[in-house]
Amino acid sequence: MQEVSSTSRRQLLCALRNVSKRFGNIQACQGIDLELFTGEVVAVVGENGAGKSTVSKCLYGLYSPSEGHVEFDGKPVEFRGPSDGENAGIVMIPQELDLFPELSVVENIWMGLERPRRWFGAFDAGAMEKRARELLHRLGLFVDVNTPAKLLSAANGKLVEVARALNANARVIIMDEPTASLTEREVFNLFSVVRSLKRSNVAVLYITHRLDEVFEVCDRAVVLRDGRMISDRPTSDETVSGLVRKMVGRPVEQLFVRHPHEIGDVVLEVEGLGSGSAFQDVSFRLHEGEILGISGLIGAGRSEIAETLFGLRDRTAGTVRLNGEISNISSVQGAFRHGIGMVPEERRTLGLILPFSVKHNVTFSSLLKFMRSIFIDTSAEDKFAENAAKEVTIVGAGLDDPVSALSGGNQQKVVVAKALARNPKILILDEPTRGVDIGAKSEIYRIIDGLAKQGHAVLMISSELNEILAMCDRTLVMREGRLVRSFDRKDFSPDVIGSAAAGVTVDSHA
Amino acid sequence: MPSDQGDGVDARSPKDRHGRSILSNTLLARPETPALLFLILLLAVFSVTTKGFFSVNNFIGILEQGVIIAIVGLAVNQVILSAEIDVSVGSVLAVCAFIYGNLAMMFGGNLLPLFATLAVGTAIGLLNGVLSTYGKVPSIITTLGALFVYRGLILLLAGAQVLNVPKTSRVLGLSDVAGIPVSVLLLVVLAVGFYWVSTNTAWGRNIYAVGGNESGATTLGLPVNRTRLIAFVLSGAACGLAAAGFLGQIGQLQATAGTSFELRVITAVVLGGTSIRGGRGSVFSPIVGALLVGVILNAMTLNRVPGTMELFVLGVLILLSVSSEGIRQRYLEKKI
Amino acid sequence: MTENRSEKAWTGASWGNPFGKLGRTTVLAIIFIFQIILTSVLVPGYFSVWGLLDATRAFVEVGFISLAMTLIIITGGIDLSVGALLALVSVTIGFSYQAGLPLGAASLLGVIVGVAGGTLNGLVTTYFRLHPLVVTLGTFALFRGIAFAVSDADAVSNFPQWFSVFGQYKFGGMVPAQLVVLVICAVIFWLLLSKTPFGRYVYAIGHNATASRFSGVATQKVTVAVYAIMGLMVGLAGLVHTSRIFSARGNAGFGLELVAIAIVVLGGARILGGSGTIWGTVMGLLILSYLQDGLSFAGVRGDIGLTIIGCALILGVFLNENIQKFRK
Repeated sequence: MQEVSSTSRRQLLCALRNVSKRFGNIQACQGIDLELFTGEVVAVVGENGAGKSTVSKCLYGLYSPSEGHVEFDGKPVEFRGPSDGENAGIVMIPQELDLFPELSVVENIWMGLERPRRWFGAFDAGAMEKRARELLHRLGLFVDVNTPAKLLSAANGKLVEVARALNANARVIIMDEPTASLTEREVFNLFSVVRSLKRSNVAVLYITHRLDEVFEVCDRAVVLRDGRMISDRPTSDETVSGLVRKMVGRPVEQLFVRHPHEIGDVVLEVEGLGSGSAFQDVSFRLHEGEILGISGLIGAGRSEIAETLFGLRDRTAGTVRLNGEISNISSVQGAFRHGIGMVPEERRTLGLILPFSVKHNVTFSSLLKFMRSIFIDTSAEDKFAENAAKEVTIVGAGLDDPVSALSGGNQQKVVVAKALARNPKILILDEPTRGVDIGAKSEIYRIIDGLAKQGHAVLMISSELNEILAMCDRTLVMREGRLVRSFDRKDFSPDVIGSAAAGVTVDSHA
Repeated sequence: MPSDQGDGVDARSPKDRHGRSILSNTLLARPETPALLFLILLLAVFSVTTKGFFSVNNFIGILEQGVIIAIVGLAVNQVILSAEIDVSVGSVLAVCAFIYGNLAMMFGGNLLPLFATLAVGTAIGLLNGVLSTYGKVPSIITTLGALFVYRGLILLLAGAQVLNVPKTSRVLGLSDVAGIPVSVLLLVVLAVGFYWVSTNTAWGRNIYAVGGNESGATTLGLPVNRTRLIAFVLSGAACGLAAAGFLGQIGQLQATAGTSFELRVITAVVLGGTSIRGGRGSVFSPIVGALLVGVILNAMTLNRVPGTMELFVLGVLILLSVSSEGIRQRYLEKKI
Repeated sequence: MTENRSEKAWTGASWGNPFGKLGRTTVLAIIFIFQIILTSVLVPGYFSVWGLLDATRAFVEVGFISLAMTLIIITGGIDLSVGALLALVSVTIGFSYQAGLPLGAASLLGVIVGVAGGTLNGLVTTYFRLHPLVVTLGTFALFRGIAFAVSDADAVSNFPQWFSVFGQYKFGGMVPAQLVVLVICAVIFWLLLSKTPFGRYVYAIGHNATASRFSGVATQKVTVAVYAIMGLMVGLAGLVHTSRIFSARGNAGFGLELVAIAIVVLGGARILGGSGTIWGTVMGLLILSYLQDGLSFAGVRGDIGLTIIGCALILGVFLNENIQKFRK
C-alpha cells in the first residue's frame, strides 16, 4: 500500500448487519456482516454467482434485505430505493455504462442533482460547466464538457460516472467491475482516481474478479462464496493463491473435468476475418475434438467473432471455411445448416425465452425435428425434452414450469441443451459459466469435456482465466479487436495470457 | 481503439477538442437544423415557382395556419421527447372548442371561455397522463382510446348543431398587434416560455433523461412517472389554449372539427427533428415542423392540388421523417 | 380447454383470471352468455336466433381483422392503419371496376392491395427498426390519403347483383356466408398459433425478439409475415364490406383499428406482447359486438359506440396490466 491512512482518523461509515436476501427459493446471500470505514478501499471478490452484486445492491438500496439491516453513520437505515441510498451518500457505478447518450457530459454530471442557480431561478450554466470541468480535471479527464455522452469511450464514460458520484457528494462509491472493458493505460489511470478518492476520505467498495487489482488498490479483501462471507482480512495478510482457494472452496482439480481426447481434422478455418470496427484480421483453425479458448478483455471483440461465425453479424472481410469449403453464412439458420451452434453470453436476454417452459426452451431451436405434417408432434417433443433435460441434469423445476423458475446454473444448462438439440459439429460457448454456481459449473465442464471426447469442436470464449487454463487445448488472446497471441496448452500460464490480453509484455521471448 | 477515435474526445489532443467544441456548439448539430434548411429551401423554390406564394398576406396566412399546430406541438413535443405519444389532441381540441363556443355564445367575452377550456384541457391531459404512467396503460392505448371517447361524446352532444361564435369572442383568431396576429404573438411567448422551462428546470432536463435512457433515469431516482405526467398535462392544456385560437380563426364549429389534427401535430414534431424514440430533439422542433407543414399545404392549395391529397402528403412526410431517423441511427451513428 | 399447463402460462390463457381456476376464455364466455340473457330480458323482442345470426353481418369484417391483430399484438406490435387500408381496398375494388376492370379481377386486385399494404408496414418496421406504432400511424394517413385522392370524395355503387354474394348471401336463409368464412378463419388461426412452429415463434418474438433471433428464428421474416397476414385479412374484410354495403367509398372503416385492438385486448392479450389467444379474441369480439348490437336495438345513438369502445380499450389494458396487483 502506497498510502497508509492514519487509522486513528478512520471512522465507521456504513455497515451491513447480518444481511440475507432471498429470491423465491434461491438464497442469494446469507448472514453478511460488512463494515466500511472512511478512506478505505474494500475489495469484494468471489466466483460468478457468489453474491457480490446482491450484497452491493442491498447496500445502496436497490434491494431491501430479507433479514438484517443496513447501518449508516451508526444508525440503522431503511433505503426504499437507490435514490434513498444516493441521498445518504452511497453511489453505485455499474459495470455497463449507464449515461444519457444524447445529453452532454455536463448534463450527465448534474442529472438528478440540485443545480446552481442565478437570477430568476435560472440555472447557472457557467457554474455547472465550471464544476464539471473541475471534477473531470481532478480525475485527469480533459474533454469538452459539452460533448454528448454517446461520443465518449468506455473509459472516459466511466470517469464521467465517477465525476457525477463526486458531484453527488458521495461518501461511499460502489464500483462493479470497473476495469472490465478498460485497456491497461486506462486501468492505470482509474487506479490513481481510486487512490485520490481514498485520500479525500471516500470509502470505495470495489467488486472485481481480477485478483491482481485487489493487491494493487485495495486495503481489505472480502471473499464471498455461495452467498456467504468466507473471509474479511487486510490485503497485506492475503496471497493470490489463498484468495483463490477461499473463492473456489475446493481444490481446483475437482471443479474442472478433463479427459484426454483426440484432436482430428480441421473443421473450421477462419482467415483474415473482420466485421466493421469490432474486430479485424482474425485467423485461426479449429479441429475436431478440440477445445479452443478465446481470452481477452470485455470489449476486445470476442463476442463479435462468435456472432459473426453464427450469422448474426455482417462479415466485412476475410473468409470462413467449413470442412475445407468456403461458406457464406449470413443468418443463424445458415449457421444451423452448417452444423454450428452457440450458447450466447447473456442467458436471460439472449439465451432464453423466460416465460416459456423448460421444455419449450429446450426444443425451441429444433422444432422442425418434431413435425407431423405441418403441426408440432407434442409427444415426440415431450420425449425429446425429457431426455435432453436428463442429459444435462436440469433440476429444480418440472419440464412444464417456466424456465424463469430455475436457478442461474440450471437456466444455463437449458441454454446448453437447446444448442445441443441440433447436434452441432461446432459449438461456440460465450462465457458459458458466467453467473453460475459452483455445482452447475462443474456440470457444464463435464458436458464440454464430453462433447470434445465425442469429436465435437468447441470454441470457448471466457474471461475466467482458470477456466481457459483448465479446459482448453489451445487459446487465442484478443486485444482491441485483434488476435494478438495464441498459446498451446503446454505454454499456458496465467501471467503470459493475462498480460497478452492487457497489452503489456512480461515475457521476454514475445 | 475504434470507440474513441475521431471524435476529438481524446484527453491529450487540444486541437481535436477545439474542433469538437465548434461542431457541438454550432447550430449545425442542433436537431431542428436540417428541417430549418429544408424550410428555407422550400420557401425559395415556392417563391420562384408558385404564383401568389411570395406575399406578406400569404405568409401571414401560413403563420396563422401553422400557429395552432405549433402551440399544441410545443407540448406534444415534450411528450414525444419523454418517449411517450399523444394521439388524442384532435378530439381534445374539438371538445375544448365545443365548450369554448357554447360558453362564448352564452356569456360572450374571451377570458371566461378561455379559462374553462384551459381547465377542461388540463383535466383531460391529467387523466391521459395518470393512466399512461401510474396506470401502466401504454400511452398509445390511452390516447387512442381518448381520441375516440371524446370524438364519440362530441358527435353525441353536438350532433348536427353548428356553432357560430360571436366576433367579440374571437380575439385569439382575428385580432392583431401591428399587423401580427395575436395567436402568433402568443406562440412566440409560449415558445420562449417552453425554452426557459426546458433549459432551466429540473423537469425540463429530466424529460430528456427519461426519454433517452429510462432505466438510467430510474437508477438515478428521477421521478420518471411525474415527469411524463406533467408533459401529458401540458399537452391537454395546450389543446385548451389552441381551441380558442382555432375557433377564433374559423368562427364556427362542426362535430367533425379537428379530425386528423393529431396527425398534423405529430408530423410537425417529427419533421422538426424530434426523435420519435424520445430523448433527442429541440423545443423549437414543432415550430419549424409546423411551418414546413404549413408551407407545403399552402403551396398545394396555390397549385390547385385537390384538398383530398392532404392526408396522403402528411402520411408521406411522417414516413419519410421517421425513416430518415431510422437511417441516421442505423448508418450514421453505427461506429460510435 | 386443450392447452396444457405450461402453454397457459405463456399464452395468457389462464393469466390474469380473477375467478380462480377457470380459464380466462371460459370466464369471458360466461360473461357473454350473461350479457345475451341480460339484454334479452331488458330489451323485449331482442332475442331470436335469426336476429343474433343476422347481427353477425355487422362484425364479421372487424372479426377478420381482430384475428390477425391478435398475431400482431402477440409479437408486441400494433397496426393503426387497418381502417385506412380497408378503405383503400374498398376504393380499389370500386374504382378499378368503374375504370373497366372485370369485377372479379377488381376484387382480386383489392385483396392484393391489402396484402401489399400490410407487407409495406412489416417491411418498413423491420428494415428501419422503427416501432410499428409510428410506421402504421404514417401509413394510416398514407392509405386513407390515397383512398380519398383516388375516390375524390365520390363513391361507386353500381355493382352487378352477383357481387352481393360476399356480404349478403345467407346459407339456408339463416347463416351469413361471411360468418362461415370467419369461423373457418378462426380455426385456421387457432391451429396456426397453437400447433405450428410459426405460432411458437410469434409468441417468442413478443417475449424476447433478440433471444428468438439468437435461437435461429428468422424474426424479420416472421414479423413481415404477420403484417402481410394482416393485409390479407384486411383485403378479405374490405371485399366483404364493399359487397355488404354495396358501395365503395374513401371514408370506409373509420375507427376500425380501435375496435380491433379493443377486442384483442379484451380477449386477454397484453399490449406489450407475448400473450393472447384466438379464442380469447373471439370472445372479445362477441362481447363487444353484441354490446353495440344490443344498444342500437334499444335505440341508443350509434355515436356512443366510439365512446364505449374507447373506454373498453383503456379499461381492458388497465385491467390486464394491473390485475395481478389487485389480486394481492
